[in-house]
Amino acid sequence: MKIIKLNLILLLSFFSYTVYGHHAFTAEFDANAPINITGKVIKVEWINPHAWVHVEVEEDSKLIVWMVEGGTPNTLIRNGLTKNSIKPGTVINVRGYQSKGKLCLPRCIANGRDITFPDGSKVFMGSSGTGAPKDGADPRER
Amino acid sequence: MRYLLLLPLLISFIVVAENEHSDMHDLMAHMLTPASEAIWESSGYVITEQGEFSLEPANDEEWEKVLYGAKVISESAYLLKIPSRSENKNEWIVFASLLKDVGDKAFEAAEAKDVEALFQIGAELYQVCVACHQVYMNK
Repeated sequence: MKIIKLNLILLLSFFSYTVYGHHAFTAEFDANAPINITGKVIKVEWINPHAWVHVEVEEDSKLIVWMVEGGTPNTLIRNGLTKNSIKPGTVINVRGYQSKGKLCLPRCIANGRDITFPDGSKVFMGSSGTGAPKDGADPRER
Repeated sequence: MRYLLLLPLLISFIVVAENEHSDMHDLMAHMLTPASEAIWESSGYVITEQGEFSLEPANDEEWEKVLYGAKVISESAYLLKIPSRSENKNEWIVFASLLKDVGDKAFEAAEAKDVEALFQIGAELYQVCVACHQVYMNK
């Protein structure tokens, strides 16, 4: 009975998946600072508790590196992203929100909402219920 | 034997908790977060144009850090369950038990040097953290 209760709570938590965990969206990112960047993937950190995609973007003839936070690797896999589907060298478009500090030293930091690949396919790269604005990126919010 | 080194730390937390009801934030920030990061930082991959690199521990010393983190997570469940912290908080006790289970699994995976298991357990650990924070973080 105890095991069933434990599993039930974990299962409910899993599906609701509201992330106030390592950090909530509002603690680190600015909902009033949306970003829409296009650039080349130079590094992917496929790690818990958040995957990170590093994107090199040309802005005003300079190369700026954006470090974009995604959901957990398992969440991304459920969304259709694997570590092999974001290959370095691929040019992607990322929508998201910049960090509150807005300092781009040594790199800009953002919370990613979705990635659009060269073939036009778009994948949600966040986690549901993080406190990020309801902007249509998360298919579970529609 | 080496985990006896944990005892003074654990006892100090218990003493502080019983006497002063130590701030939960401190326990999370200085004990559970570093322990969790020891698990998360020891598995996963970094992928660049040069190739894919595993973050798995490279030697026994690095594995020992993972074992230490796993044991801290597992044993901290008892700290979370002491009466002053858990009284009338049924879900809290359930989450603490889940944390112990995850810590134990991480310890077993680290002993077996099973990196893939450790990666999956890292995800599970985050789920437990998030589930508990969802209920209690702002209370």
